[in-house]
Amino acid sequence: MMNEESNVVPLVDAVRDALAGRSSWELILVDDGSQDRTREVVSSIAREDPRVRLVPLARNYGQSTAMQAGFDSARGDVVVTMDGDLQNDPRDIPMLLETLAEGYDLVAGFRIRRQDRFVTRKIPSWIANRIIRWITGVSIRDNGCSLKAYRRELLSRMRLYSEMHRFIPAVAAGTAGARITEVGVRHHPRTRGESKYGLSRIFRVLADLMSIKMIRSFRVRPLVLFAGLAAAATALGALSVGVSIVAITRFNPMDAASLVFPSISLLWFALALFLMMLGLVGEVAIHQHRRQGLKILPLMQVRYRK
Amino acid sequence: MTDASATSTASTFPAAGGRQPSAVSVIVPVTDRPHDLAWLYRTFSAELVAAGRPFEFVFVVEPWARSHVEVLEPLVASGEPIRVLEVGQTVGEAALLDAAASTCSSPIVATLPAYPRVQPGALEELVVKVEEGADLASAVRVSQGASVVNRIQNRLFHAVLGRMGGRGFRDVASGVRAMRRSILEDLPLYGDFFRFLPLMARREGFIVVEHDAAQHPEDQRARVYAPGVYLRRLIDLLGLFFILRFTHKPLRFFGLVGSLFALGGGVILAVLFAQRVGGRGIADRPLLLLGTLLLVLGVQAIAMGLIGEIIVHLSASHRRTYRLRPDSE
Repeated sequence: MMNEESNVVPLVDAVRDALAGRSSWELILVDDGSQDRTREVVSSIAREDPRVRLVPLARNYGQSTAMQAGFDSARGDVVVTMDGDLQNDPRDIPMLLETLAEGYDLVAGFRIRRQDRFVTRKIPSWIANRIIRWITGVSIRDNGCSLKAYRRELLSRMRLYSEMHRFIPAVAAGTAGARITEVGVRHHPRTRGESKYGLSRIFRVLADLMSIKMIRSFRVRPLVLFAGLAAAATALGALSVGVSIVAITRFNPMDAASLVFPSISLLWFALALFLMMLGLVGEVAIHQHRRQGLKILPLMQVRYRK
Repeated sequence: MTDASATSTASTFPAAGGRQPSAVSVIVPVTDRPHDLAWLYRTFSAELVAAGRPFEFVFVVEPWARSHVEVLEPLVASGEPIRVLEVGQTVGEAALLDAAASTCSSPIVATLPAYPRVQPGALEELVVKVEEGADLASAVRVSQGASVVNRIQNRLFHAVLGRMGGRGFRDVASGVRAMRRSILEDLPLYGDFFRFLPLMARREGFIVVEHDAAQHPEDQRARVYAPGVYLRRLIDLLGLFFILRFTHKPLRFFGLVGSLFALGGGVILAVLFAQRVGGRGIADRPLLLLGTLLLVLGVQAIAMGLIGEIIVHLSASHRRTYRLRPDSE
């Protein structure tokens, strides 16, 4: 929650109502460096109700880190995430839990009848979802919906940082082997507080996606990726060499034509060399990581569905 | 080398009021243009003595500056709370500070340049600010008679700094600071980023205050540095900008730069290709070379960003990347 002081009390009430009758639950409210009184409001509620807990971040870190902080302090076997702005409906939580119990690691909500502006929110989101599906190969209808339920084992296998929260299903499936399904959830228009999203996100989303895709495929052997790219550059260089030979034999060696193509082939070869070296740097990084006794691939228990 | 015994809070003066003031370790990294250090110690410690505050001074020197600390020997011999530490090589101010701080055990650490920048009273005032609740208090040099040259330099520096995400600071580089020791444990100090410590601390959610302090006359003379120094500052600022913005997402930066290059190259090549299809020869066009060069540069930049992402992923996957408010832990 960031600057959501007006939403805290209604949110807590809604969660209490939705989970009434369940024996054990806790509500973790992560304060992502709010400038308003969000923190005070939450901690006063937490003092009266031990089921409500405040995780106050020292500054504004962004949604991914805030979520990770929540995961780190959550104690349940199942963790449900939702936005602090009441656009998600806590009444959907029991349904998510039932679906999770069918044998999934992650149940993602998708918003039926989404209540947001069409041009600035829905269209970019539609495009983003398409691109995410295309690049990551993980088919999720609505990556922007925060209402999701996770099994604890899954969370211990992945860490969110930077702005990964947009692609949790992709990260979960790609790096932690999660079994994922989707269910439709309710979505309400924002009634209080201010929306914190803007339109200028496409480039950033693309950059993050590329990095997830790469990490997913090549985190164990980055050299494979870079060697592949280097091979492509070498091929282009070889092509230029071929053209150069033709150019030199057909034209006067002093012509510009006989200089441009050899230079171009040199450029491609230089790129190939550079990429190979970068790949080696990547290998060094991974080697160092392993030397410190740190795992790269998470291991998981195979569970058989009932 | 003169190395005093490691007594950390050696002053024996009783507190004036009921509450005992917190002990403070004053670290003096002896780098450029050191002043008479014995004078510096006597002048600045007098204020701490007057406030009844337990303190120690830690002078830390690089090998070449050893002669500057010889004047401290009689003071150490007479039992003044001074420690003199030496590092094995020339490492720069931040590393000196880091090394010295790791040997301190006082709850509050203050830093003082090796020549007077502010009037001695400022040190105690800053320490009081930290006692009152700030995590870091940094002195802002104010004076009537400061040279125009210095003032313009300072304005320019802070204008650029503000653009790069350090808005609201008036004198980030005064070097006279008091802080909780925990700050130094939480913030990585290296290179010249020490200069921006208040900014880094504020960014990490620490409470940072700037406190006006009368500038010392010694510090008011106009200073024009060699061009190399300005270049270094500019590089510092660029490095800071990158660290603040893109530490966790290098591909955002390299990807943007790379895409722009690759796009430029791609457009040039596409135009040339269209011309070739239209029947015009392109083999003798330097533009072909430029287009290829831009494309190659673009791919290089993006590849750099990808390597950066791998490194970030590796380090983030096993480490907590956030800090909770201290009162909650």
